[in-house]
Amino acid sequence: MKVLKVSGWTIAAFVLPCLFLYVCLVFAPIIVSVYNGMLDWNGIGQSKFVGLANFEKMFTNDSLFWPAVGRTFLLAGFSMLIQLPVALFVAILISRFVRRTGFLVSSYFLPVILSVAVIGQLWKTIYNPAPMGGMINQILINLGLDSWTHSWLTEPKIAIYAIIVVALWQYLGYHILIQFTGIQNIPADIYEAAKIDGASGFKADRYITLPLIVPIFKISVVLSFIGSLQSFDLIMVMTGGGPANATNVLASYMYNMSFLSMKYGYGSAIASFLVVVCLAATVVINLLFNRLDKRFS
Amino acid sequence: MSQSVTLKKEAPVVKVRNKRRVSVGKIAVFAFFGVLLVTQLYPLIWLLIYSLKTNEEILSGSFFSLPAVWQWSNYSAAIESGNYWKYLYNSGFVTIVTMVSIILLASLTAFAITRFRWKYGQVVMLIFLLGMMIPMQATLLPLMLIFKNIDILNTHLSLILPYIAFQTPIAVFILSGFMRTIPTEIEESAIVDGAGVFRIFGSIVLPVSIPPVMTVCILAFINIWNEYIMAATFISSEKLKTLPFGVYSFVSQYSVNYGAIGAFLVLGALPVVLIYFLLAEKITKGMVAGAVKG
Repeated sequence: MKVLKVSGWTIAAFVLPCLFLYVCLVFAPIIVSVYNGMLDWNGIGQSKFVGLANFEKMFTNDSLFWPAVGRTFLLAGFSMLIQLPVALFVAILISRFVRRTGFLVSSYFLPVILSVAVIGQLWKTIYNPAPMGGMINQILINLGLDSWTHSWLTEPKIAIYAIIVVALWQYLGYHILIQFTGIQNIPADIYEAAKIDGASGFKADRYITLPLIVPIFKISVVLSFIGSLQSFDLIMVMTGGGPANATNVLASYMYNMSFLSMKYGYGSAIASFLVVVCLAATVVINLLFNRLDKRFS
Repeated sequence: MSQSVTLKKEAPVVKVRNKRRVSVGKIAVFAFFGVLLVTQLYPLIWLLIYSLKTNEEILSGSFFSLPAVWQWSNYSAAIESGNYWKYLYNSGFVTIVTMVSIILLASLTAFAITRFRWKYGQVVMLIFLLGMMIPMQATLLPLMLIFKNIDILNTHLSLILPYIAFQTPIAVFILSGFMRTIPTEIEESAIVDGAGVFRIFGSIVLPVSIPPVMTVCILAFINIWNEYIMAATFISSEKLKTLPFGVYSFVSQYSVNYGAIGAFLVLGALPVVLIYFLLAEKITKGMVAGAVKG
């Protein structure tokens, strides 16, 4: 006998409580969201079914929507093109040069475990104008670079970059840790064999570490991309999407539409779009990496 | 499962070191590690110093200097004017209730998926996997409407329920991955001895599954303890706020005393940092296991 034979009731007792809660609170809301996306509704009064009008307006006639999508991908781009390569580089260096890795890795990781509410408020303080105690501006003034000082979070052109810096800062340690663990799991005898064949140092990294780290790197890419798509707690804490929508990303735009402008229908339409993009992104990334995997193996 | 097993093994550190090159290169690498260490930790240390300064010291522009007199009064001011203990209690309550519920519900489900003979086990698993890709943000508005209708908006229940729901997929995934590896002989002998399913679950499978349960606990703790958006959306009464939301509202409303704001931020970060100091290795391993599975 391999598995237990039990009655349907027993199975139900084991599975249903969890499944019920899960379906009601995760799946049902998404379906409600798609339906609400077809309403013209402010949450209080009568709702009116308008079909795909919200989606049409969103795609063709909303000057704030595409910039928000653009910023979402900007964040994802910075994360994937800067944060992940840096993390991989650091991970390789750590596994090569450091004997007791615990302290270094867990120190880099520390910001990851802090709440975005704390991180956001901390960096708001750091970005404050110098007369209000802001660290960055005080450093710049002390270095004699007064002209470089900015009101980092209230100037529309730079606010989004100021936030991206924080996002990259907070999660760098996470990606270092993931990739470092990946490198450590590469069997050491592969490196020894390579050494006999004359490949050591960075050559070994190029021909052994990089190909073998691909599956773990994929995890980092998925996390960073999905994280960027969904990122908005940091933005809500630091700027709320302002000044003048200059830091809105998809999710924060959705939140502001739903909860501040009380456009429930329109907010739901954006939410549905977000779900679709998330699902599509996961599928695409997996396909890309499957191809990459095949090429390497 | 194979992945998590390999994760837990201490893989031997790769030794591709070349002893003759203790040189410029190595110094540069360690300098780089140092710079990175400063960028990752200095903001937090700066906050700690900031929280012990007077307003004048903070505004004077000498960001690097230590306070002349360490202003511990900032901390008492912060605790008195913000409801720190209340927030801490709320966060603790919500987190513990959620964690216990997740462990119970997810392990029951994982047990059923891996140990029972029934047709739909894989279907259930698939449903959970699919849900992992659903962004929590998209459910905020519908959840608020649902909670308003069943009249639990602005209660701790309105946080606990979605927290459980959003943590279950990863929990079921990790637990079922582990339970699949438990040898069935144990169960068979238990059945021979006349133990029922619940008995087998409660006194054999669950106790054996402590390691993955710990991983689930760590992931759930970090995610729930730090959660801000749902708390800020579903909770409005002061006395029900959790710590991240409390920190946010204190800092945005209290502007008299900069040091006290810093102190409140430190206090907000403190519980999780303390736990991290105690369990750093377990936490980092748990987070990697969670990421690899997710």
